[in-house]
Amino acid sequence: MGRDCVERLSPITCAAMKIDRDEARRVAGLAHLEFDDAGLDRMAGEMTKILTYIDQLREVDVEGFEERDATVTPMRADEIREGVDRDLVARNAPAWRDGFFVVPKVIGGE
Amino acid sequence: MSELLDLPWSEARDQVSPREYVDACLAAIDARNATLNAFLHVNRDADAGTLPIALKDNIVTSDLPSTCGSRILGEYRSPFDATAVARLRAKGAALVGKTNMDEFAMGSSNEHSAFGPARNPWDTSRVPGGSSGGSAAAVAARLVPVALGSETGGSVRQPAALCGVVGLKPTYGRISRSGLVAFASSLDQIGIVTKTIRDCAEVFDIIAGHDPLDSTSSTEPAGDATLDLGKGVRGLRFGIVHEAVERLEGEVRANFEAAVGVLRGGGAIVDDVSIPTIPYAIAIYYIVANAEASANLSRFDGIRYGHRSERARTLSDVYFDSRGEGFGAEVKRRIMLGTFALSSGYYDAYYGRAQRVRAKLRHEMSDALRRFDFLITPTTPEPAFAIGAKTGDPLSMYLSDIFTAPANLVGIPAIAVPSGFSAEGLPLSLQLMAPHFGERSLFRAAAFYERETQHWKRKPRG
Repeated sequence: MGRDCVERLSPITCAAMKIDRDEARRVAGLAHLEFDDAGLDRMAGEMTKILTYIDQLREVDVEGFEERDATVTPMRADEIREGVDRDLVARNAPAWRDGFFVVPKVIGGE
Repeated sequence: MSELLDLPWSEARDQVSPREYVDACLAAIDARNATLNAFLHVNRDADAGTLPIALKDNIVTSDLPSTCGSRILGEYRSPFDATAVARLRAKGAALVGKTNMDEFAMGSSNEHSAFGPARNPWDTSRVPGGSSGGSAAAVAARLVPVALGSETGGSVRQPAALCGVVGLKPTYGRISRSGLVAFASSLDQIGIVTKTIRDCAEVFDIIAGHDPLDSTSSTEPAGDATLDLGKGVRGLRFGIVHEAVERLEGEVRANFEAAVGVLRGGGAIVDDVSIPTIPYAIAIYYIVANAEASANLSRFDGIRYGHRSERARTLSDVYFDSRGEGFGAEVKRRIMLGTFALSSGYYDAYYGRAQRVRAKLRHEMSDALRRFDFLITPTTPEPAFAIGAKTGDPLSMYLSDIFTAPANLVGIPAIAVPSGFSAEGLPLSLQLMAPHFGERSLFRAAAFYERETQHWKRKPRG
């Protein structure tokens, strides 16, 4: 079965949410990801194409169907349990001193 | 390769010593992994064990690194074993290695691994599927009898199908996810890859059941899943998902029809069933999964573990530069999509909408599973594709999961069983889905089909 056939299984409808470079930059900022302008343009184009496909969800009648499932994840009892060995945590830390993670200064740059 | 490794685990384990079994696997890996790239880490000091096992590299282990197929985790070494791994070790499992995967389980071909793609043992110019491609390739090539993978939208069943092995996606909540690196928390489950249904059911019995370390693991009692393996399918009702098969063509259609014939021959009642919302499954999936991923992957920030950029001068730089350097293109694309879908002003239109369509799909599938014991489709719309064939078009890659994603969205168990071969000699696969916690009957029906067809006995050359 070829690709055309695969696409016919999920009909693509066009309504179009167009992502431009500025919108891609806004989202990248929220996501803590950095791209140069060419990267932003490429990402904007790919997101637009995928969102165009996803727009088919608008044609479904969802009257009577709720966003959240009724089932809830049970909470465990609030009891003290043994934690993870601190030395094993330190082993993976990029920078560690006196039992703390070390980071560069918080203020500055921009 | 060694005949021992051609046997199912449930037969081989009684024929050799635990030391010989593990050494046979290590020797097979040494002989084949340079070609297949199925393993990212090999445990040359593996203990002897009655169950040599490979784990997808997003299932954490205290004795081998866990990279998730990404550069951002560096040589991350977990302080603890995943619960599923601890349970297997308690039953004599020996960890022989960690398997290749699409970065953070995001992909359907293994081509999004930061460490190069694993290859399909049936044709090394083709993908093994993904994201658990290394696990499927390792079992198909007879390097290990059993491997664990993980599923979010078909990441065990799809590669199992493309590699000609058994792949199980259990009920949501059936297997603890403690120690499975989170991708999309409302969808993720650990899955099992084996050669035969019996092996799969026995491994399932070892790892299934509630775990206090995972609040989403079910307290529903886990019974003996092997109990009904010999019972056959007489009188059981199978629903052919109309929307999935109506446009099938060529050998995938012929293969599926032959599989239906085998079930009918065993006395099964087979009929069509319509699930009108199924064609929307991929659109739902790519909003829900990516939205949840964008939140889950925010933990990779260069502070507590993994890669920290050398360039970073401020705390803000640490986040942006470490993530920019550490994540690959597909992971960034998905984080961007998910962040967009959750961002102010768009939440209702995308995430909210997708969740409501998902609720409708759940309603339709529950309804169908009241009238039928199983729903059936081919596992994938086509056999293994060539490496590079879909990398330029994310959407066509996403559509590889069109038959598998519904079970994740609805939380039901589903299994991929080898169903024969294409004219080119590539594996094809039958998918069966069952109601929540219906694994025992899933194994029963799949075991019948396997007994009648014996496709698992054919193995790739090499």
